[in-house]
Amino acid sequence: MVNTQDLELHLDEEGYLKDFRSWTEEIACALAEKEGIDDECPLSTERMEIIKFMRNYYEKFEAFPILRAVCKNVGQPKECNYEQFPDPVKAWKVAGLPKPTPEVFAKIRTTG
Amino acid sequence: MADELTPDELLDKIDYGADSGNWMDTTKSVQIRPGMYCYAAKAESVETLGLPNARPWNPVEEDWKLPDDWQQILHNGIKERLERFRTFKIFMDVCVRCGACADKCHFFLGTGDPKNMPVLRAELLRSVYRNDFTTAGKILQNIPGGQRLGGNRPLTLDVLKEMWYYFFQCTECRRCSVFCPYGIDTAEITIMARELFNLIGLNIDWIATPVSNCYQTGNHLGIQPHAFKDMLEFFVEDLEDITGVDCTPNFQKKGADILFITPSGDVFADPGTYTCQGYLILFKYLKDKYGLDVTWSTYASEGGNFGFFTSHETMKRLNAKMYAEAKRLGVKWILGGECGHMWRVIHQYMDTMNGPADFLEVPVNPITGTRFTNAASTKMVHITEFTADLIKHGKLELDKGRNANRIMTFHDSCNPARGMGLLDEPRYVINNVCDNFYEMPPNTIRENTFCCGSGAGLNAGENMELRMAGALPRATALKHVHEKYGVNTLGTICAIDRAALSTLCEYWVPEVEVAGIHELVGNALILPGEKERTEDLRMEPLPGCEEEE
Repeated sequence: MVNTQDLELHLDEEGYLKDFRSWTEEIACALAEKEGIDDECPLSTERMEIIKFMRNYYEKFEAFPILRAVCKNVGQPKECNYEQFPDPVKAWKVAGLPKPTPEVFAKIRTTG
Repeated sequence: MADELTPDELLDKIDYGADSGNWMDTTKSVQIRPGMYCYAAKAESVETLGLPNARPWNPVEEDWKLPDDWQQILHNGIKERLERFRTFKIFMDVCVRCGACADKCHFFLGTGDPKNMPVLRAELLRSVYRNDFTTAGKILQNIPGGQRLGGNRPLTLDVLKEMWYYFFQCTECRRCSVFCPYGIDTAEITIMARELFNLIGLNIDWIATPVSNCYQTGNHLGIQPHAFKDMLEFFVEDLEDITGVDCTPNFQKKGADILFITPSGDVFADPGTYTCQGYLILFKYLKDKYGLDVTWSTYASEGGNFGFFTSHETMKRLNAKMYAEAKRLGVKWILGGECGHMWRVIHQYMDTMNGPADFLEVPVNPITGTRFTNAASTKMVHITEFTADLIKHGKLELDKGRNANRIMTFHDSCNPARGMGLLDEPRYVINNVCDNFYEMPPNTIRENTFCCGSGAGLNAGENMELRMAGALPRATALKHVHEKYGVNTLGTICAIDRAALSTLCEYWVPEVEVAGIHELVGNALILPGEKERTEDLRMEPLPGCEEEE
């Protein structure tokens, strides 16, 4: 069990990690806790799969992935982003990635 | 989601008897309220575009960090536009305030705020015009009480803030214009107002950042070429699972017959992605059956044009890539996807802004021989015209039964309906791919269609109360056909609609789903060599293929 309180997080004013390269699984725990998602650390396998896919995707494409492509790629049900996180943008945040462009928010279902 | 307000609470808030005092008074209206406005444009995006006064600012703060001479800039801006655009001059002069438009606006109907009557919203700018640019106004300013008499207002900071607030509560849908005896196009007034705001750096982020993305990478979402390709490849994989056929598209194929351009939302988010898969199926079908070569482009990868909500110049810059890419690839003409405002730009501005596109041919459907004379100058055809033409000539083999679970109605998107008169083609397509179609009441469809409430760059998250209030008239009509005929699917031919109407439904009529028309086409179209399909494009069981309980 990592004490997430001891981690120093470098976040922007909206709570996104400033440098996605500095992300670690412990940081994911701290971010998840901040987003009110989980107190379990390390995060569950299902969540971690989603997060890791998003990180790889971002590294390759600097883009927010098609949501059902995430689920298909990690072999989870179509609504996995919503089932595992209250909102896919929170998954993105926990993955330590920078704030998506407004059009992403406009086009996907999010809690804001 | 309008977390704060439930649908019932929102309904209770509407007060058509609101007493706002004298309309010239700004004191009440400049209280910019959360839920009703969009966040300010990020300095970075404004800077990318080379637009003036890039800096962080916040609409709810007192100081908007305007340039010292902002009044002069706006004054000159108005003057220049009055000289340049005769429409603007006429619309400033000709209104007699008859009020025919007053109750035609979805934002007025959904909020009861008198300043959302199109006439009054326009008066916010007209009052400044009268004060500064008319002889009567110039005389009256010097007489005590004269300004009130003439309805003239000097351009003060409060007047500016009020204008900003209300011109970002207009979706440029032009429903009011249909009822105006003078044919005043209120959208043109909003367009001018927003163009003026941009002279002093007062855009909203929901517009500025997509515009900046589009300028840099070719689309609003900022999807780079390799990502765009990867996204379409994902659809191809799914389509292969569903149909057993490989629908791999062409990318920037030189010498292809047709260049296809659609809004980037279609390649990214549900339910637009299903529409996108429908396009891929159609193109594969046409290639196999008739040898038609359609190409996509990762450069001209955006049909939409948020520049339209910024300024004429910005619109022109973003639009230019369509013709540029068509020229580079040497295609015959351009086919456009299901989008809303994209079509107003194409139909009414593109040809004179970036044309004439003499290097393209007047569009002819090579399969049917139909000449699209309506697109003779723009060289760009709407995909529902194209598909309707193919169906009419019996060129598509369709199995309606695969959409038997859909009880449809159709939302006319403002711009294709009022901006280019595309009314019958989508209905014709729907009726040929689906058996159950019911119209919403006549005063809410076709030319009289009600806006989704989120167009013209207002589909943000922070102004959800405004959006859901503006959505009310459309939602009420939808609810009516849902209750009367059991409508479960709202068809639409606009990418913003596919997102905005989904939110509208979730809020007002949760039993209804949103679908693009080419999603239904994709379901119904029988591909040569396809396997026996058991799933629709959403990978849900087809009617008759549901698992036994």
